[in-house]
Formats: sequence, C-alpha cells, structure tokens
Amino acid sequence: MEFLLKYLDLLLYGFVTTVEVTLFGVFAGLVFGILLAIGDVYGGRITSTIIRFYVEFFRGSPIIIQLFIFYITIPTLLNTIIDGFTVGLLVFSLNSAAYQKGYIKGAIEVISEDQMTASLSIGLSKAQAIFYVILPQALRIVIPAWGNEFCSLTKSTSALLLIGVRDFTGAGRTIAFQTFRVLETWSFIAIVYLIWISAMMKIADIVYEKVKIPGIEISV
Amino acid sequence: MTIRVMECRNLWKIYDKITAVKDVSLKINEGEIKLIFGPSGSGKSTLLRCLAMLTPPTKGEVFLRDECLTKPNVDLNKARARIGFVFQHIWLFLHLTALGNVELALRHVLKMSKNEARERAMQALREVKLEEWAKHYPAQLSGGQQQRVGIARALARNPDIILLDEPTSALDPELTGEVIDTLRDLAKKGTTMLIVSHEMPFAREVADEMIFFDEGIIVETGPPEQFFTNPRSERAQRFMARLIKRTKRE
Repeated sequence: MEFLLKYLDLLLYGFVTTVEVTLFGVFAGLVFGILLAIGDVYGGRITSTIIRFYVEFFRGSPIIIQLFIFYITIPTLLNTIIDGFTVGLLVFSLNSAAYQKGYIKGAIEVISEDQMTASLSIGLSKAQAIFYVILPQALRIVIPAWGNEFCSLTKSTSALLLIGVRDFTGAGRTIAFQTFRVLETWSFIAIVYLIWISAMMKIADIVYEKVKIPGIEISV
Repeated sequence: MTIRVMECRNLWKIYDKITAVKDVSLKINEGEIKLIFGPSGSGKSTLLRCLAMLTPPTKGEVFLRDECLTKPNVDLNKARARIGFVFQHIWLFLHLTALGNVELALRHVLKMSKNEARERAMQALREVKLEEWAKHYPAQLSGGQQQRVGIARALARNPDIILLDEPTSALDPELTGEVIDTLRDLAKKGTTMLIVSHEMPFAREVADEMIFFDEGIIVETGPPEQFFTNPRSERAQRFMARLIKRTKRE
C-alpha cells in the first residue's frame, strides 16, 4: 500500500476535514440541542411547536438536501455565496442539534418533576434549577447516546463531497480514481474510519465512567 | 407575645375534578409545632405544598410572617428560600453529595461564599449527625440517612418554618427512629414546624396542637391529649382507634 504515501497530504487533509466538521457539529449541536431541549420541555406551547418543526425538518429530510438548501437555495435567495466548508459546519451542527435535542429531552424527562420540585423548594429559580440540578444529571445520562451521535456524524460528513468539500471519503475517491487501486484504497479508508470511531467511542465510555455518579446510571 | 410565622386563610385547591383542599384556615406561631394527620389521600400533602407555594392555591391567602404570598408579583423564590420543606420521598439531588445537597441553596440562593456555605452546611449535617457522611452520594446512604440529609438541606438556610410531609412514611420501619430522633432534637431547639405525620408517640411528645384532616377539611384541632383520650369528632375517634391499634401491633 506504499502508493498511498504519495497521497499522504490529500489523505491527511481529508481526515482533518472530517474530524473538524464532526467535532464542531457534535459540540455546537450539543449546545444548541440543550437549548432546544430546554425550550421544548419548559417553554410554552408555541416554543415547543416551533422546535418540533425544526427537529422534523432536520431529522426528516436527507442530509444531502439540507446541504443543498444551505449551499445553493439560501445563498441564491440572499444573493450571496457561502463556501462549502462553512455550509458543512453549519448544516452538521443544526442537524446534530435536532438529534441531540431528542436525547437530552429524553434524559430530562427521566429525571422527572421531583428534582425540579425539590429545587424550587430550596428557593432556586426555575433557571437555576435547570442549570444546577437538571442539566448536570441529564448530560451524564446522555453521554452514551452522544457517542453514537459522534459515530454517525463522522460517517455522514462524506455527503460534503456533493458540495465540493473533500473529506476523508472524498480523498479516498480521488485516489481510487487516479490509481485504479480501488480495493486497497477503500480498505485502507475503511480501516482508518474503524480505528478512529472505535477510539472515540472508547473515549465516550471513559468520560461516562469518569463522571458517573452512583444513583445516576443507565444500562446501555 | 405570639408572632405569626405562617398562616393560610380560606385556602382552596381545586384540580380538574377533585377538590383537594376546602376552605382551610390555620396559623402557626413562632416556636410552635403543629402536626397534621388523617387518612391518606385526604389532601394533607397538597395543603403543605400550597403553603410552600410549590403548588399555587386556587383560592385563599397564604402568609409568611407579614408577607402575603398569594398576591401577584411576589418573589416566590425568595419566599421559598425562607421555608424549609422535607418531602415524603426525600428527593435529594442525586448528582450531589450530602454536603452538596445542603450547600446548593446556601451558595446560589443565599449567595454565601464558598467557605461560609461549607461551614454552615457542615454545621447542618452535624445537627442531623451525618458529618462523617458528607462526601457520600444519596445512593450510598440508607433511607434514614437520606431523609436526615433532606432535613439538613431544609434547615441549613435557617428558615422561618419547616414543613415536613410524612418524613418517615416512605422509610423502612427500623429506619424511622433515627429520623424521629432528629426531629425531636429540632423540637427541643424551638424550631417552628408543621408536620404531617402518623408517628403518634412522637406527636404526643412534641406537638403543641394536632390537626385532624380528612377529605380536604380540618375536622378537629386540639392538644394531643384531646386526641389520645377523647377525640370530639366521630371521624377522629375512629381514625385514632385504628392508629392506636396499629401502633400496639408494631
């Protein structure tokens, strides 16, 4: 597989793109997902309806269409141009937020009313209760689901190819086309994905164990 | 001189179909211990939650000292900070240690400094004899210990009054003793308390007044001796007879 060495730059560049978009997507998606979950659980009917529409759109349509909308439709309407990489960061964050909102909302609902009532009883405001009591528990519960989100995002970034951004899969495609050594190239790409994803899942496990508190555990 | 700590006047709580509290008026003065008892499902918990404004009453007024809590635009968070509440099912914060549970309100409601909050929280844990368990999480404590942390959490803020909603009824019988002992200590210190409980020997010992509650109304009030020797209402007579029989069996 020495021929791959010649393409080291390309591979590295693609790999870094994949990692960047994934990490950004997962973290920005987490922050936004937390806000959406809080809005859905504690906001009024209108807030929660708007959030539901948002979530349905991002979960209910193919990621490729979402990329096109943000790469072509919206810039055209606004008479501007957004580069593919930025669109990637944006769409994967918004998309991931829609999924993560679901996980976090589920976790908040597991924690239930009691913790909120107890928080209010000691004089905390609702916002303080969410910040000091509900979220610290919900986020711990959500870590395993979070590992999955990471795993799925890593792979779906390949869709970026369609808006001209070369991620790790994109790099593989270029190499395979140029060298015609299809089997070796794709095998190599697949193995790297496998190692990377396993490593990240392992990290999620370690984090989960590290922040685990007796009494707030879920069976995965 | 008697100083009013908490009072409710003509309090109603009506849910969709059920009226849980019907036109209840009661008053607790400084240093008094009043004990509410009555059949389960009679609205005792709802009454307590209305007094702490954890559930808004449908009608009527609630006073905490001179402040009317049922008026609009009252800062309820501030008011709740002055009311200790102990729950039947304890409801400690599961992600915090015993110390963390007690500290939380001191830090973020009373805005104490870290050291000050720690000191006060430890003092509260000392009062319930759980100092050495400060670093344990709720799941690592027995039910009785958990409820004592619950009590420490309620009293650390030096509240004007502590409301206790059946603090021992969710515990195994052999664990109720330690919680009762803790409450007895509080009573000796003159803590103002409104307790829902069926621990009759304890009630007889500490209560200034007992309140028999049934079907959302106060049926009868009086000193403990009245209930133990000669309850006036027929409903209270029957209920006391059952309770005493049960206590003897135990």
